[in-house]
Amino acid sequence: MLDENNIKPKIYTVSELNFELRQKLETGFPDIWLEGEVSNFYFHNQKHMYFDLKDENSKIRSVLFQQNNRNMSFRIEEGLHVLARGYLSVYEKRGEYQFIVQDIRPVGVGSLIMAFQQLKEKLEKLGYFEPGHKKKIPLLPEKIGLATSIGGAVLRDIISVLRRRFAGFNLIIKHVNVQGPGSSHDICQAIRDLSEFGVDVVIIARGGGSLEDLWAFNTEEVATGIYNCRTPVISAVGHQTDYTIADFVADCRAATPSVAAEIVIINREETAKSLIKINARMKELLEGKIRQSGKKLLYLIDRKVFKKPATILDRYRIVADDIGFRVIQIYGRVVERKKHKLAKILPLIDRKVISGRIISGKMRIKNMNIRVLSNISHIAGKKKNKIEILLQRLDNNNPAAILNRGFTVIYEDSRDKVISSVKHMKPDQVIRIIARDGSARARILDRIIKMKGRAIR
Amino acid sequence: MKIDDMSFEESIARLEEIIKELEKEDISLRESMEKFEMGIKLSSHCLKKLNEAETKIEELTRSEDGKLVTKELEISEDA
Repeated sequence: MLDENNIKPKIYTVSELNFELRQKLETGFPDIWLEGEVSNFYFHNQKHMYFDLKDENSKIRSVLFQQNNRNMSFRIEEGLHVLARGYLSVYEKRGEYQFIVQDIRPVGVGSLIMAFQQLKEKLEKLGYFEPGHKKKIPLLPEKIGLATSIGGAVLRDIISVLRRRFAGFNLIIKHVNVQGPGSSHDICQAIRDLSEFGVDVVIIARGGGSLEDLWAFNTEEVATGIYNCRTPVISAVGHQTDYTIADFVADCRAATPSVAAEIVIINREETAKSLIKINARMKELLEGKIRQSGKKLLYLIDRKVFKKPATILDRYRIVADDIGFRVIQIYGRVVERKKHKLAKILPLIDRKVISGRIISGKMRIKNMNIRVLSNISHIAGKKKNKIEILLQRLDNNNPAAILNRGFTVIYEDSRDKVISSVKHMKPDQVIRIIARDGSARARILDRIIKMKGRAIR
Repeated sequence: MKIDDMSFEESIARLEEIIKELEKEDISLRESMEKFEMGIKLSSHCLKKLNEAETKIEELTRSEDGKLVTKELEISEDA
């Protein structure tokens, strides 16, 4: 039967057959789309992924090699409904045909949500959402960076909010496609460019849309771009209810683009308010200090010197009177002597001249008295002016303040007498050391007395 | 550093320090006065900064040689 037409049949080796099948499959199905459910998933050595794609009645072995599974936005799991693109081939060693997947994505919104959840969990584990990593939005951004689509409603909204709420601002816009292929990459580049240009804050914004529309903000690429950005980033994507991965990673999430503009502007108004508060606080503190110093001053004034300067003056007055008295005495004696002389020479001199000289002498004594008194009250006045210096000294000489500065005081053990000289310390003597936070007893070992540069034991 | 050369953030940080210093029990009256004076200067410097910005809207692009450049952007206020 085999030789019916006398033609020798082609006899394949197994290898040959599998090789030829491989050629035929690879050329016959070089680029196909296949939809199915993942089962028997196996991630071999964290490199290549092996799984079956199946529907209700059939299945096919599939493989996703390492070079194609590196940058996936979602994780393949059992039961995941996917759309895969690739070609058919034969694994010759086993004679198994398989679907070589080159691109794969989850199918339907349910799958997008799943991909979103998976990425969120992954980034959370990586610490991308840590509050500690979040940068402070600057108090006064001199340059506000904005990555959004020029010509979109979002840009106009943001500008009109900024215009309404603040006199002046500098907005630097980097145009990006906020949707479609490559948009994630665009957004990252815009964040980098704005940061490099030197803006103080970056707002990434787009209007509302479906989960697919917002997908550019749900990729690991954008998350990493925001996470690594040195400039604080405000994420303002979609409506109030839309949450994106960018929102979680950003340093601040704004519910809408307009809110992002408000966040930047409100900070300015708040700053003006807090400046006024700071001023009030400084004033309060200074007034407190003045009151406190005033009390000290009153205390000093309350003391005898200032309260009854008259008594002090009286004391000086007594002294002055005494001086005056002695002056009069001395002058008196002089006058006596002069009188004596006078008596001798009186008959020779005119009386009038003499009595004139006596009067002028009395006047001089009176003037001296006045000068002494005014000198004393002048000194008392000067003392008042030195109150501030006194206050300062009081502070400096307060023993507690000295101890607080790190000094210690040494007392004799038996008596409350301060030892300020080594001469009063004898070997074996017990002393008491008072420090800021308590006291200690100690014994003198030896001593060195310094005398004009020489040391004497 | 001269107050005029200080950035807004630096001024605010210095103001916060001044408050802390003023709050200290052992500060002298003279020091208090000096700090207060400095604080008032700083806060008016900040207020000036708050009010001085003029509006500028620019677009950031890369020139052919790869440099980042900005150009003024006309945005109509309607709509």
